Formats: sequence, structure tokens, C-alpha cells
Amino acid sequence: MPRDGYNPSMTSSNLIKMAAAAVIGIALGLIYGWVIDPIEYTDVPPNILREDYRADYVLMVAEAYQKEIDSETAARRLAVLGSESPAVITASTIEYANRNAFAQEEIQILQNLLTAMQTYQPQGNSGP
Amino acid sequence: MSRFNFRSQFFQLFFALLAGLGLGLVYSWFLSPVTYVDATPAILRSDFKDQYRIVIAASYASTQNLDRARVRLQLLGDVDPVGELSAQAQRMLAAGETFEKARPLAQLATDLNQGFASLPSPTPFTVLTPQVVSTISVTETQTEETVIIEETVTPFPTILFEQTPITPVVIETATPRATFTPVPGPGAPFALVGRDTVCAPGTQAGLLQFMLMDSRRKQVAGIEIIVTWSRGEDRFFTGFKPELGNGYADFIMERDTVYSVRIAAGGAFVSDIVAPACTDPNGMSYPGGLLLTFQQP
Repeated sequence: MPRDGYNPSMTSSNLIKMAAAAVIGIALGLIYGWVIDPIEYTDVPPNILREDYRADYVLMVAEAYQKEIDSETAARRLAVLGSESPAVITASTIEYANRNAFAQEEIQILQNLLTAMQTYQPQGNSGP
Repeated sequence: MSRFNFRSQFFQLFFALLAGLGLGLVYSWFLSPVTYVDATPAILRSDFKDQYRIVIAASYASTQNLDRARVRLQLLGDVDPVGELSAQAQRMLAAGETFEKARPLAQLATDLNQGFASLPSPTPFTVLTPQVVSTISVTETQTEETVIIEETVTPFPTILFEQTPITPVVIETATPRATFTPVPGPGAPFALVGRDTVCAPGTQAGLLQFMLMDSRRKQVAGIEIIVTWSRGEDRFFTGFKPELGNGYADFIMERDTVYSVRIAAGGAFVSDIVAPACTDPNGMSYPGGLLLTFQQP
């Protein structure tokens, strides 16, 4: 007869087997949760956009600035890309543009935007 | 007994595996889920998508590069990009935004519908950096000479001829990224092709409805309509009520007021518009509506 609280089948060998099974289970769970079916995000902010999309967004802001000449609006549009200053965001985009063979005219309008952002002084909030 | 032990061990291992699996899922889904660092515009939150569309439209207003604007809109993954532009413009106006802020969205929707830019393409920014250096190979026979020059980008041309200079054939290899795409001119002006009285009791009294179509009778969104009367003027666009059609717009007329209608982009001018008098089945008179149909020839 087994003593109270003592399971004769729970030997150290069994414990090792159970631990191994648990580790395998954890590994399978991680693979499934990280690789096979990871959490899908659908409502993300723009600050995690891939670098090329960020660059294209900044280029769009620069193109719009060419016509609007409105530093306030341009700075507000750039602000959605993160907490860095608009000038820093534009400068890093120019670096990306130089690395990726953007057209000279595109780099030039990015330079124009950078100049505007470097001299821009925030004046308060208004609409988008 | 040994069979019982075998089954018991099997279940213990099975439950250990399940517990581990559960722990792994909890960790990978909740405690440390995959962190997105390279998101695409398609999964942006809807308000950021709106901001993205505004910037696309503002960029387009500056460059008139319709192809690039179309590609950029596709990044957002909208099923109906034109409809989204129109709906957003409508939302902006309904939220009290100024007409000028909604205009680029409506303009882009219009141009996407008609397939070309309404405004002329701006003159491309002139860049004078690329210079040409030429490598020339000359093959001469008794009767003909062939000269091929392959260009690369660097200093000014240094062309060395071993004999009498001849006219070179230049094969350019430097291909800058296209930014400004030449586009055709604006479409033909709209003409009034229908003016129908709408007497339908229960509908909005004095409703002036517009339907604008292109030459293929396809409804056109984003066309600006100007309604003027003795005490004022109102401007609005087609396509702001997508549920009634991309080419639809409407306006409420007051009784005994004479209106004029003009399609902003060089379109028809229609004057002397008043709410027609209609009679209901009980013989009572009420202000009816009008449906004006415009079409490009």
C-alpha cells in the first residue's frame, strides 16, 4: 500500500519526463504564438511605419510644402511620425533618400522642407 | 497494474505538454507579443489613414502626379479609394472644416475618376548636376563610320577624337526616377442635358438635386458646383453622398428665391432656377424639387 501523499509513479525519472514535456509544450506555444499565428495589429500609429513608407510620407509633406509654404501645417503633419522634432525627422529622411538614390529634385524639396523645419517656431494647435 | 501505470504516465506527460503549450501561448500572445516595427500604411488606425489621405491629396495638389497619388492611395488598402476620398471630404465639411481643406481630397477623387489631372503639371524643378563624360569607340571602314558613346554621370564632356570629328550617336544610360508625369489637359465642360421637376410628397421641399456624368454616363465625384442667389452663394462637390451616387449632390432651395447654378470647372451656367410648385393628391400646393443632369459631351 502506498503511503499517504506518496505517488509511487512520481519518480525522479517521471518528473524529468514531465518537465521535458512541459518544455516542449512551451516551445510549441512560443512557435505558434510568435511565428505561426502571431498577434495581428490593425490600428497602429504611424511612428512604426517601415522606413521606406516613412520616407515617402515625409516626401509627400515636402511636396505639399512646395505649394503651401506653410511650416505650421508641415510640422503638424510630420509630428504624427513620432516624438522627434520635425527637423530631425526630415534630416533622417534626407539621409535615407541619399542612400536610396532618390531623384535630385526630390532631395532638393526635402532640403527645402528641412530648412523650413529648422527655422520653424511652434505657434499652437489648429486643425490638420 | 503496469497497464494502469503506463496510462497514468501517458496522461501526466500529455497534461504537462498541454500546460507548457498554454504557458507558451500566454507568453507569446499576451506577455510578449510580436512587436511591429515595420508596419504598412494599410494597418494604420483610421484617423491616421485620414491624415495619410490628406497628405497624399496635398502632395498631389502640388505635383499633379496622378499615377504616384494612385499608388500611394493603394498602400492604404481601401476597397474604393475614390469613395474613401469623397467620404472623408464630406466628413471634414460636416465637422466644420473649411472648404479649402477638403478641396484637395475632392480634387484628387475627381482626377482619379476621370483618369487625368485637371490642372496642368507643374514645371519640374531644374537640377543642373549631372554632367557627361563620354567613352568613345570608333570603328572605321572605308565607307562608313560608327561611333558609340556610353554615358556615365560625372564631369563635363571630354571627347577625344583620333581623327576628324564626326557627329556622335549618343546612347543615354542614366535614367533618373520619374517624378512628374505629363498628363492630358482638363476634360470637356459639363453641359445641362436634363432638367426634371420632382414632385414627390414626403421628400424635402425645394430639393435641388444634381447628377454629373462623364461622356460615358459614368457618375463623376468631386466636381465643384456653385449655387448663387441674391443674398449669397454656396459651393459644394458631387460625391459627398456616396450612397446616392458618386455624381450626386443636392441643395435646399427656399421658396420664391431665384438661383443660378454653375459648374466650377468651366461648365454650364444655368440661371432662373426656382422651386417648382407641386400639388399633392389633396390639391394642396407645395414646393417641389428639381433634378439637373449634367454630362460631358
